[in-house]
Formats: sequence, C-alpha cells, structure tokens
Amino acid sequence: MNYKPDESTLISYLYDELSDKEKTKLENYFQQHPEELAKWRALGDVRDMMSFAQDKEVIAPPVFVDDSNVRSLWQSSYFKISIGIAASIVFLLVAGKILGPEISYSKGELKISFGNKKVVEPVPANSLTEEKVREMISASLASNNEKQQTLKEEDEKRLMQSLVDMNSRKMDVLAKNASLASREQVQAFVAGLQEQNLKLMKDYFQLSSTEQKKYMESLLTDFSGYLQEQRKQDLQLVESQMKYYEKNNNQFKQETEQILTSLIASPNRSKNNY
Amino acid sequence: MMHSDALIARAREGDKNAQGKLVQLWYKRIYNFSYKFFFDHDLAMEVAQKTFISMHKNLAGLQEVTRFKSWLYTIAVNYCREETRKKKASRSFSLNDLNPGDGEESYYWEESHQRHENPERQLRHSELSDLLQKCLMELNPEQREVVIMKEYEGLKFREIAEALNISENTVKSRMYYGLDGLKKILEQKQITKENIGYEL
Repeated sequence: MNYKPDESTLISYLYDELSDKEKTKLENYFQQHPEELAKWRALGDVRDMMSFAQDKEVIAPPVFVDDSNVRSLWQSSYFKISIGIAASIVFLLVAGKILGPEISYSKGELKISFGNKKVVEPVPANSLTEEKVREMISASLASNNEKQQTLKEEDEKRLMQSLVDMNSRKMDVLAKNASLASREQVQAFVAGLQEQNLKLMKDYFQLSSTEQKKYMESLLTDFSGYLQEQRKQDLQLVESQMKYYEKNNNQFKQETEQILTSLIASPNRSKNNY
Repeated sequence: MMHSDALIARAREGDKNAQGKLVQLWYKRIYNFSYKFFFDHDLAMEVAQKTFISMHKNLAGLQEVTRFKSWLYTIAVNYCREETRKKKASRSFSLNDLNPGDGEESYYWEESHQRHENPERQLRHSELSDLLQKCLMELNPEQREVVIMKEYEGLKFREIAEALNISENTVKSRMYYGLDGLKKILEQKQITKENIGYEL
C-alpha cells in the first residue's frame, strides 16, 4: 500500500472533519505506521496545552445609540411634501380670488389671465393716417426752410449795406482832408522829402569812405607788421649761422693748436730718446 | 450562535441599536484575537476599535449576512497586518513589553477578572497563559493567525479560508505546520502536559 496522508488530511482528522471512508483509510495507515500516529497525537497534545491560554476579559467601549427611532410626524418627509402641496394650492386659490382669473380657449389658443380685461377703444374713422402725418411733416419742413432762406437773404442784404455805408464814409473823410491842403504845403512837403533823401545819401557816402579808409589802414598796418616779422626772422637766421661758423672756427683753432703743440713736443721727446 | 442574522440585517439597514449590540457581542472576540496576535493590550485595543469603526462604515456593503463572521475577521486581520507593518517600520516597542508589575501601573487593573476564583490559582493560570502566549508569538504571522482563528476563535476552516482569502487546504496546511512549530517551541521550553497539570 502506497498511501501517505498529507497535512490537510491529518488536520481534518484532528478536528474530526474526515469522511468515514477516509477516516478508515487513515486509521489503517496509522496501524501500519505507529510513529506517524505518535506524531499526530503530539499535535493533539499541543492543542490541549495551548487551550490553557486564557481569554482576556475586556469591556466593550460605550456605543452611543440613538434610541429615538420613531420620528415625529412633523419631521417626516411625507408630511413636509403634502404640506408644501397644500400651501401651494391655497396660495393659488387666494391669488385667483383676489385677481379674478379668466381662462379662455379660442382658435386653438389657451389664455389664462388675471385681473380686469383691458378694453381696447376703436380707432375713429376720421383720424390721422400715416400718409397724412407724413404730408404734414413735409409741409411744415418746407415752410420752415422758406422762412429760414428769406431771413438769411435779408440779413445778408443788411450786412452789405452797412459795409458800403461805412467805407464810403471813410473815403469821404480822406478826400475832404486832401482837398483842404494848399500848394505851398505840398511844395514844402516835397522839399522836405528831397532834403531828407540828400542827407541820407551824404551820410551813406561818408560812412562808406570812412570804412574804406579804415580798411586800407589796417591792411597796410598788417603788411608792415608782416614785413617786420619776416625781417626779424631773417636776422635771427643770419645770427645763428654766424654763431655756428664762429663756433666751428674756434673748434678748428683749438685743434690746430693741439696739433701744433704735439708737433712741437714730439721732436723734444725724440731727442731725449736718442 | 452569538447573534442572529436578523440582528446583522437590521444593523446593515442602519439600525444603531443593532449596531451597538453587534459591538457588544463581538468586541471581546476581536480584542482577544488581536491580543493573541500581538500579545499587546494597546495594539489589541487599537485594532479592535479600528475594526468596529470600519464595520460601522462598511456594514451596508456586506452582501451576505451569513458571511458576517468571516467578513469581520477579515477586517481585523487586515488591521493586524497593518499594525505589524507599522511596528516593523518604526521598530519601537510597547511599554507593556517591559513586563509591568502588579498594582496600578499595570494595565491589568483595566481588565475584569473572575473574582470568585482562588487568587493563587488565578495567578498561576495567568502566568501559564502568558507563557503559552509567548510560544504563540514565536510562530510566523501566517501560521499564528490561522492557529488563533481555529483554536481560540472557533472558526471553521471554510470561514478562515474566506477571511484570509485562501483555499481550505492552505489553511489546513498552515494549521499543521503551526501546531508542529508550537510542539517544537514547547519542547524547547520544556513545557509538557504533565508540567502544566502539576502547576495547575
């Protein structure tokens, strides 16, 4: 026999949860394998020993329980809804009573209205039509334009008249003044003008000759100054050249003296050597 | 059965009385599951509170009332794993790890003990319980959660599989290796059935 129980079977047997058939099979196995039975019994002993672990006594924390399960009629939603509907109906009835509702149906049109019906007065036969009103407005505009045009023309005429009057008056005054002047006065005026012109010409020429004179003088002065300066520079140049020659001459003199001195001294030295 | 399906159904519909009743019924179980998982009172309180807050928020989304138990443990397991991750990340340790003594400094005063029992016997039970709890803590978390759910919370293998979203065979396999591991740990600590019988 090759049967060997698994852990699951052993545990099921330990808790007495095996079927009769499997139980018999396992018991036969245990008879043949006493060491396995001892192991299994050891598990049972463990269970027995572990059962000495006690439960701890503990008090469950208080739970706040709402005892008022029954809700008052006032709080129920049915009551609130029905009261709401009733209030709406009452409101409509009161409004209808006060305003006097009228419901009518004619030509497929349903009308609900409140209050007194508004009476529309019929339009009289000889009343103004739109055409008439237009004609009246255009006529009024035309007459107004005409009036404005005449007023404008009158104003223009009046203005022109006043201007002409004023100019002619001024011209008259001027002519009058001119006619009052004598021949002598005119001659004197002309002579005065001639004299004045003469004086102006004289002044002009005098001023221009003076200016020219001044200019020439300054020109000559400048030229003489230039010449003086040129001369001075030339003199300086000549002087420096002279000094240069003099210096060269002196230097030549000194060298010649030195040569001569050395020549004079050399025969004496040679004589001494011999 | 700790509750009726009608109670869960009422709680799911928003009945606060029913929700309060569910908390009263399941608080001790979820606290003890978390306590055995962490061996830490504060963490267990934290996980229990978070679990019931989450239950309150998400109960309306629970599809089948019959799956309430595994659904609740799923929430608890997820919070336990979250706290484990946080603990690993922060690498801090609880003040309770300092093994507080008796008296007012100990958190034990918060717990209600059965006062009719002999105090000496009660103390021995408590010490043994802590010793076994320490052995349990040496298991890896996957085996530990399965062992706690089966041995202490009394869940069926199917319910554990649902809660952990794994197959029943995997649950049984983890259970086998968990018990086998515990056997070795108990042997190491020289805790035998005879010792326990003698102590008690």
